[in-house]
Amino acid sequence: MAEAKMRNVSFPRYAEYNCAFKYIVEQALGCKYVMPPVLTKRTMELGTKYSPDFVCTPFKTMLGSMIEALEAGADTLLMTHGLCRLGYYGELLEQILRDLGYQFDFINLSEYDMGKKKEYLRIVKRFNPKANPARFLARFMEGLRMTEYVDEITCEYYKNCGFDATDGQYKQAYQDFLTAMYTAQARADVEAGYRAAKRAMQSVPLDKPQRPLRVGIVGEFYTAMDAFSNLELEQKLADMRVEVHRWMNVTNQFLRYGSGQKNLRVKIQDLCRYDMGPTSTANIWYARECAERGYDGLVHIKSATCTPEIDVMPVLQNISADYKIPVLYLTYDAQTSDVGLMTRLEAFYDMIEMRKKVL
Amino acid sequence: METQTIKIGLPRAMLYYRYRVLWRTFFQELGMETVVSAATDRDILERGTALAIDEACLSLKIYLGHVAALVGQCDYILAPRVSNFGRHRSMCTRFESTPDLVGNVFRGSGQKFLSYEVDEEMKKKDEEEGFVEMGKALGCTAKASKKAYKQAKKAELGQHKERVQKYEQQYKKEGMKVLIAAHSYVAEDPYMGRAVSDYLKRVGVIPVRADMVDREAALKRGKELSPTCKWEINREILGGIAMHQNDVDGIILLSAFPCGPDAMVNELITRRVKGVPMLNLVLDSQSGTAGVETRLESFIDIIRFKEGKL
Repeated sequence: MAEAKMRNVSFPRYAEYNCAFKYIVEQALGCKYVMPPVLTKRTMELGTKYSPDFVCTPFKTMLGSMIEALEAGADTLLMTHGLCRLGYYGELLEQILRDLGYQFDFINLSEYDMGKKKEYLRIVKRFNPKANPARFLARFMEGLRMTEYVDEITCEYYKNCGFDATDGQYKQAYQDFLTAMYTAQARADVEAGYRAAKRAMQSVPLDKPQRPLRVGIVGEFYTAMDAFSNLELEQKLADMRVEVHRWMNVTNQFLRYGSGQKNLRVKIQDLCRYDMGPTSTANIWYARECAERGYDGLVHIKSATCTPEIDVMPVLQNISADYKIPVLYLTYDAQTSDVGLMTRLEAFYDMIEMRKKVL
Repeated sequence: METQTIKIGLPRAMLYYRYRVLWRTFFQELGMETVVSAATDRDILERGTALAIDEACLSLKIYLGHVAALVGQCDYILAPRVSNFGRHRSMCTRFESTPDLVGNVFRGSGQKFLSYEVDEEMKKKDEEEGFVEMGKALGCTAKASKKAYKQAKKAELGQHKERVQKYEQQYKKEGMKVLIAAHSYVAEDPYMGRAVSDYLKRVGVIPVRADMVDREAALKRGKELSPTCKWEINREILGGIAMHQNDVDGIILLSAFPCGPDAMVNELITRRVKGVPMLNLVLDSQSGTAGVETRLESFIDIIRFKEGKL
């Protein structure tokens, strides 16, 4: 038998993190990465067609994206574990894909006890039996560094892009940064791309008023972060000349607070005593933080039937009442139309703008 | 004042159906009184629906109605946080959010709530520790609380065993048997699953319950059917199906709209359990039972047709 065949690995589209998945799969695991096609209406139609009706929408998106990844040549699919229904995505996704007749190898992290360090080595060896653990770790950390950069630059982008005084240089700088990340093959590429983006973004003149409208985004971990899934809500708000702030991202939720959010809970003890779900503590903390900083409004984003985020809503309603901060609650499903969202956003914008003038 | 017994309110919904004996015995052993909300009716459902976020599941709406009915009627209302019993032994996140959810929904009502926490995976806190902490919060000693818990757990397990034995007898009876796969709070609530079992009995079908099985054995069998199923109660139900699918004429997957775990696990069941007629019935708040009865009637006709009895 010749050399073991190199795996063609894929993971569904997820915000702008696929550049980091690609980097880790190729540089750390020594496999090939198959980039799933960008999410489109077709992805959603495929996902919705084969999913159970009232599963949360990211399941449908991921199923669609996995089918498209298999069509693009992937032979190995990865699915993560998770604290909510996400932890059961893997088994059901695999079953549905196999029933459809697709052939592939499926690496489901829910099958591993992710609390144990030894398990990680088993997973790495499954991807590539010849992978060197030390090299893997070093390269993996570089992939995480890329994730942090993506989050930092994205955060910066939505805060300022609505105030670009040029004809789109700010957006161009962000796009160039993403291209650099998607094509990076070594640590130097990642660092150079990041530095170039910082410089480029700082050099674009901004036309920002003294006190711009500021809106905080809270919500469910997939839909709040994935621009396709939330119909580019952040860009739409920014285009109305709003500073858009979002704390929730992979860096903050996992890399900084991976071992629990005890220190965030300190400030919200009167609102909730426990974690109410995987992202409740961070969302409640950040909503109050925005309210205390005098932001003009909050947008709560979730997919249809997302249990943990439905349960966070009564707490957000109390924060809204206590601080007199308007909250726009948005639920996304596979059919949500752009037009409906635009109407609601415009009304929300008019309202917070009028309040700002009065207050 | 000091001699007055503490009165604990137990909402007749959600985990009440699983833990009623555990809860009642624990508080009684500690010399406290328990008061249970009345059976679900239209009023409770409507009050709960008004209090809940629209998109919440029917079970939560009913639960909030029961809590509302108890507000002002007792010193404390019990609202535990039951997160998990270990890895792949979680509860729906709704049971994790319960104490804070009711705390926020009923903020300003002046009602005090009582909680205990079970979270073995993250905090290494088991049920006994949760109960002892709760007992101490009520002013009892750790020793007395521990003793009360042991008594209560014994009573709970005894009651479950008795019910399991009762259901085992049902399987030996002659006649058509249909297995109801549902959370106990769905199966037993008069506004949800009770209409299903009542109808089945009325037309001469014997209803049996997937969750009325030895829990430990069911957890093991459930794992065979779905190795990464992470929800304790769904794993028990999966196990119950695996144990009894050959003893029944049909299976009804009964869930409350839009139950998160059921939405996924029931899909998996329909894909993996073959050779037995299956009905996927999702209940929402309806004012009548005619719709459900029509579906049950046709399901039973299908079973009879398949067995050549129609």
